[in-house]
Amino acid sequence: MSIVQALLLGLLGGIGIWDSRVGGMWMIDRPLVLGPLVGLILGDFTTGIVVGGSLELIMMGVVGIGSATPPDTVSGTILATAFAIVSKLDVSAAVALALPIASLGQVVGILVRTANGFFIHMADKAAEEADFGGIDRALWGGAFLFFIAYFLLVFLGAYLGSSVISAFVKMIPKFVTNGLNAASGMLPALGIAILMQLLFDKKNAAFFFIGWALTALLSVNTVGTAVIGTAIAYTIYQYTISNRKNNVAVAVETDELSDDLGGEL
Amino acid sequence: MENKEVNTQDTVMTPDVYKKTFWRTFPLQACFCFERMQNVGFAYMMVPALKKLYTDKKDISDALKRHLAIFNTTPAVVSFIAGASIAMEEKFKKAKDNGEEVDEESINAVKTALMGPLAGIGDSFFWGTFRIIGAGIGTSLAAKGSILGAILFLLIYNIPHLLVRYYGLKMGYKSGVGFLASMNEGGVVAVLTEVAKVLGLLVVGSMCASMVSISTPFVFHLNGTKIVLQEIFDGIIKGFLPLGFTFVVYALLEKGMKSTTLLWGILILGIVCSFFGIL
Repeated sequence: MSIVQALLLGLLGGIGIWDSRVGGMWMIDRPLVLGPLVGLILGDFTTGIVVGGSLELIMMGVVGIGSATPPDTVSGTILATAFAIVSKLDVSAAVALALPIASLGQVVGILVRTANGFFIHMADKAAEEADFGGIDRALWGGAFLFFIAYFLLVFLGAYLGSSVISAFVKMIPKFVTNGLNAASGMLPALGIAILMQLLFDKKNAAFFFIGWALTALLSVNTVGTAVIGTAIAYTIYQYTISNRKNNVAVAVETDELSDDLGGEL
Repeated sequence: MENKEVNTQDTVMTPDVYKKTFWRTFPLQACFCFERMQNVGFAYMMVPALKKLYTDKKDISDALKRHLAIFNTTPAVVSFIAGASIAMEEKFKKAKDNGEEVDEESINAVKTALMGPLAGIGDSFFWGTFRIIGAGIGTSLAAKGSILGAILFLLIYNIPHLLVRYYGLKMGYKSGVGFLASMNEGGVVAVLTEVAKVLGLLVVGSMCASMVSISTPFVFHLNGTKIVLQEIFDGIIKGFLPLGFTFVVYALLEKGMKSTTLLWGILILGIVCSFFGIL
């Protein structure tokens, strides 16, 4: 990998982290989008797309909900895809590489999110002095810190790492590669389980199984399921809303009934 | 009623302020810090309106401090809270100018009250629904090497994202807190969240079937007959292993196991099973 390519990958790292910092989350930081961009920089667009898609499945559950810092999809995706292209690794090896890198990126993320305390206090001071410009400077200070941290992480990783990684990958025994391959088929289950924690409860459990059955037993693809899902969701919405109106009407007439009808959605 | 009042008097939300505030809703997390999370981003967003509203140094200082309080919500829906906050700032300023007693700190109380429920709707729609549908469609196309996957993913997520971000500011300002409160009262918020979950779950269930793949090459001999384990699983129900495995992972997560632990656990499981020829 040339130094120019490593620099470009570093820039992509900075842009990737800026998606959720400065951009307001356009999903440019997801493997599905970063993968092809890495492919473009390294001259193998198709591999970038395929590796990015596989990484997306594994990192699907890795999202920054609330205040927690998740494993870093940006550095993990860019470096793993780059190594996969440069060292001609197969997808499963790329996946196995992405995870430790994403954990390292997570540590960097935690450091930056702690160091930004400096800019928060700068903003406090600006507020004290009624200085609007000071707020702007504090915000962009934090943004700069994010950019530079991920630029350096990805640039150094790409520049120094590729030869080390290729040598290392050649030493891996066959059963480990096979095992990683098997694991990369199982890992999407983790992403799905994390999403289930957000969505799944006793009340709506059936819909998970309907979605599963549509695809597993009837071979309906994701687009088809989304269309059917939208229709079901719309119907439920209409029925619940009109039910609620009726319930309110009933509750006014007979107070006793309202206990049985109200409450549960 | 509220609308009329805003329209007949001078409004702080001129097209210019609206445009500036809209652009300033994007870098909400640029200075994210564990201490107060998105607070600098929120204050940054309020700057154009506060600049227009206040001239007194003490007022500016108080307002900025107010908006530097801890804040955290789903980025895509923040413009709604920005709009509502600007409406409240304006209302309080006018009341104060008329010599009325006002408690500006209640603005923060309202912000805090809004950010939780909005993050709830925002997370289930943007993270749990649009992103999942987009990723589901996108990854299946990407597996075939098509760039359309990434493009469709971005479109499916960002069209609702930008619409909500742009019109959220308008809705937040015009109807302010009253709107969400009335929606909450009618239970519409709860219904919408629930409906988003239903749609998300259907797609997640479908992805469980299409994207988790486990099969075993394990073969054993019983009284001289060759038994292929995978055929037994397929005989029970197609895709049984992936579904069962997903539920095991889900149960472990529910028990409080960390996702990072599980991630490494699955990798090790894969390697160990491969060593013994089970997977």
